[in-house]
Amino acid sequence: MDCKEAVEKLFLYLDGEILTPQERKDFEEHLRICRKCCDKFDFEKNLLNLIKSNCLDTPLPATLVNKVLTVINSF
Amino acid sequence: MDKTKDQQKKLFQELLMPELGALFRTALRMTRNREDAEDLVQETTTKAFSAIDRFEEGTNFRAWIFKILTNTFINNYYRVRERDKLPSLDEMEEESAFQPAFEGISPEQALLNTLTKEDIQKAIDVIPIDFKSVVVLNLVEGFSYKETAEILDIPIGTVMSRLHRGRKILQKLLWEYSSSKNSTEKGKKEEWTAKKQ
Ligand SMILES: [Zn+2]
Repeated sequence: MDCKEAVEKLFLYLDGEILTPQERKDFEEHLRICRKCCDKFDFEKNLLNLIKSNCLDTPLPATLVNKVLTVINSF
Repeated sequence: MDKTKDQQKKLFQELLMPELGALFRTALRMTRNREDAEDLVQETTTKAFSAIDRFEEGTNFRAWIFKILTNTFINNYYRVRERDKLPSLDEMEEESAFQPAFEGISPEQALLNTLTKEDIQKAIDVIPIDFKSVVVLNLVEGFSYKETAEILDIPIGTVMSRLHRGRKILQKLLWEYSSSKNSTEKGKKEEWTAKKQ
């Protein structure tokens, strides 16, 4: 796998959407030998985790739980 | 055998409650305010329970309820004029010229270090809706490309291209937020140095 192909596969890999185990292996192998792609991958992975954790950290208002239960019981 | 109303309510509640947090934070990113987000979740609950007969037990409830949420948002909360307030897509997709310069660390590491929760949520909030919905469902909530395609009723290829562009827009905004903070810091430092002299 060359850099061009690795960059194309990067997000598929990150999103868990790579199709075959062979493709995953080839991608991982390229990261082992290519510093540039490895750095890019680490950055994208860390950024994704940062985005995810900061968005998931949104508390559910307690009042909404009660409102939703009221909606269900109104049927 | 048909279920009684009470059995139906109990089952629905068991399925819905574990998803409530995810539904609320998705609603919040879409509506961009807490009051509308709470209303949207309640309206989604009403619609979902009214249609519960059409939900097949054992299939993907999470995807099913998110589809109702996103449809309800588009139909009842999203106003087309909101588009006018957003910067144009071309503008948003231009490669960012800003790169924060920090001593000793890469610009990428500097970006990761300076971003706050507010920056990230604000950036997602301003992404145009077609891209935002894919970004939120896929990147934040962890739906697969296929599930996202089903929720939004679009082909998988469209999910992939919107995700690609959504990521680009999001990154550009984040670089800009980080860079403006960095230049403010730099400004403060220069001011301070000037005063000292
Ligand atoms: Zn490479």
